[in-house]
Amino acid sequence: MNKQFNINELQLKYLELETLLDITNELSSFEHVSVLLQEILIKSCAVLNASSGMILMQDSNSDLFQIEAEFNIDVDALKGVIFNKKRGFFNEVNQHRKAIHLQIETDPFLSKTKCTYGLIAPLLDKKDLVGVIVLFDKESRLGISAFEESDTNMLSAIATQAGVAYNNIKLIENIKEAKTFNDNVMQSIVTGVFTTNLMGEINHVNRAAASIINLDREEVIGNHYEYVFESNEIINELISKCETALATISESQIQIDCNGKTTSVNISVSPLLNDQNEPIGSVVAMEDLSNLDKLKSTFKKYVSKQIVDQLLENDDMLNLGGQEQEATILFSDIRGFTSMSETMPPNEVVETLNEYFNLMIEIIFKYNGTLDKIIGDALMVIYGAPNSTDKDTENAVLTAIEMQEKLIEFNQQRIIHSKLPITIGIGINRGRVISGNIGSRQQMNFTVIGDSVNLASRLCSAAKADEIIVSDTVWKHVKTNKLFKGRKLNPIKVKGKAKPIEIREILYQRPSFNYEVAYGMIESFLINNLPKEYTYHSIHHIRDVVEQSERIAKKEKINKEDIADLKLAAWLHDVGYIWEPARHEARGAEYATVVLNAMDFPAQKINRITGMIMATKIPQSPKNLLEQIICDADLDYLGREDYKANSTLLLEELRLKKEISELEWLKIQDQFLTKHVYFTKTSNSTRNTQKAKVLANIKTQLKK
Amino acid sequence: MSGFIKSTKEENQIVIIETDGYLNNEGGEAISTICYEKMSEGKNKFLINMASTKVVNSIGVSILIEIIEKLQEVDGKIGYYNLAPIVSKTFNIMGLTKYSTVFATEEEAVSGL
Repeated sequence: MNKQFNINELQLKYLELETLLDITNELSSFEHVSVLLQEILIKSCAVLNASSGMILMQDSNSDLFQIEAEFNIDVDALKGVIFNKKRGFFNEVNQHRKAIHLQIETDPFLSKTKCTYGLIAPLLDKKDLVGVIVLFDKESRLGISAFEESDTNMLSAIATQAGVAYNNIKLIENIKEAKTFNDNVMQSIVTGVFTTNLMGEINHVNRAAASIINLDREEVIGNHYEYVFESNEIINELISKCETALATISESQIQIDCNGKTTSVNISVSPLLNDQNEPIGSVVAMEDLSNLDKLKSTFKKYVSKQIVDQLLENDDMLNLGGQEQEATILFSDIRGFTSMSETMPPNEVVETLNEYFNLMIEIIFKYNGTLDKIIGDALMVIYGAPNSTDKDTENAVLTAIEMQEKLIEFNQQRIIHSKLPITIGIGINRGRVISGNIGSRQQMNFTVIGDSVNLASRLCSAAKADEIIVSDTVWKHVKTNKLFKGRKLNPIKVKGKAKPIEIREILYQRPSFNYEVAYGMIESFLINNLPKEYTYHSIHHIRDVVEQSERIAKKEKINKEDIADLKLAAWLHDVGYIWEPARHEARGAEYATVVLNAMDFPAQKINRITGMIMATKIPQSPKNLLEQIICDADLDYLGREDYKANSTLLLEELRLKKEISELEWLKIQDQFLTKHVYFTKTSNSTRNTQKAKVLANIKTQLKK
Repeated sequence: MSGFIKSTKEENQIVIIETDGYLNNEGGEAISTICYEKMSEGKNKFLINMASTKVVNSIGVSILIEIIEKLQEVDGKIGYYNLAPIVSKTFNIMGLTKYSTVFATEEEAVSGL
């Protein structure tokens, strides 16, 4: 054999060192334990000329070891073998803490491998034995032999490196597992959580947080919180405060803008600390209250805020049962509603009741009443149950007065819209009642029952339209308050009571006619009902007449009260167009009479209003200065710069009825303007010059 | 054919041996048996496809060296292709590449040997 081809010791040592270096370099690149172990085993076998080998690792839940890597070995021969940490070669290698030779033939388990020589090294996690690497039968050209002492050192070195690498991978796996666990928990909780780093950049957002702030996680991650919450100064302030104070900052029930959607949240910001207790960012937790708000708002349609809050705070209130206590009960009932509803289509009946109930229930809740039930068109309201205050009875009377007052305004609207007014009678009593949740577990109602409740109902029945009747008990509770005025009525006999009941009528002041409210109502009625095809007789013309009436009246030194009437007439002067354009002045005057009467407008002044409306009929026929003013205001545009625009609208409207040529229209205008005269000094002095120009222009066009 | 020798074929008077598994004493012996047999038939060019041999030990390498020595006596050559990096590195360290050639592919090996 040529000597140059001999593999010398130096080359073998070089290979051993390279292998060890490879193992050291490569160990950190493995992500999975199984791949790492297989690589270590192959390299160990190769470098130590072992014919085969295996790596056994301890089961995480027991002292038993399992084969995790094998090379060139008959694994089937080892099937069923139990490798126990406390027995045999494990015990031995655990004591020596380094590679040792194995007597295979005497080992009851390894002898099954049919190998002869063995070398085993421990894989340690700090001091604990977590695995072993076993190599079998060192090869040579002469056959197999026992491993040498140098092999023992080499395998010990490899095992030490492998142990470090194994522990690193396990650590990474544990961190990943913890992170996955953490992520799963964070993603599954309903509280919105996001974290920021020291730079203020958001580095974690859970699903709930993304949903609450109505943004995709990708839109949030990596962005500074001030950018993400630029429209929510309060969130930025809370995070900023937390960063400065290094303390938890909380805020309850704040409204935040979530990408265009407003949401109510509880928010808490805490500093995020590392294991050295140094700040590394902030963690923000948000509790979405929108569902609770929705629940509350739905609930509050049925019971007062007081009851909702108490129910949410006190589960016991949901138990069936009752208690005897003092309470005030109010009943109200619409007078003659049944006969009134017979003349109305069903949808109008429902619409009317809904409008009426909305208005009344708002007042009931304003005075902390609990709407017990709606019975047809009647309402039953409780004050002082479940919790009573000194003001319960006063609140009941205040509710009744405001209900009657608001109903007057409500009726004015209805009258203006040519609908029948609604009137109610109210009865109030105070006395001992049984209060509590009455019903079944599936459906229960908080209510009050007893004689006192029945009497309140009887008082309501006794009350005439617009009346508030209270029992003597109620009057005794409220009479010291000078707000209330009571008129003693004759005692009444009620069913179930032997003695007549002392009663009083609570007096309230019917509000005087309010011009501004009336103007607003009429304007709204006109906007909704004037025929849209009428381009000239539109809300714009009516507003113009109102404005010009006031302007001329002020110039003519008319007093404020008369100006108010003048404006009222101006608002109403073309209302008849809604029903009868041809005789709109007469129709408007009829409407004004009905509406103003119903709105408690002084009867003696109604003729004055209708007179002004009628005076605007062409040819105009004013009989007094106010009528002259409204007539001039109605045709004010004849002497204004915007004549052309108005006349075009008028022509368009007239053409709805018949075809009018341009020439015909010029002739009509010529004739009308030639005949027209303003009545007031103001209009004559301010509008005649322009009117003359308009007329001259028309005449010029006619000559052409 | 042993389990280690996956296949043998001849191309352009070159004997191509495909191996599978650990190139140790046993694997080396399997290669040498074929090589010596073919040499007795007058063949003196050998290529070993080591695509499926990912592990080699020094005994395996020493057997390859023995084959090289025998081939030198008949003016023969041996080469290898499809080597795993670790096998390639071992061949380098053990000095094998000084007396035989490592190719990347079979085409390159057949034309370059």
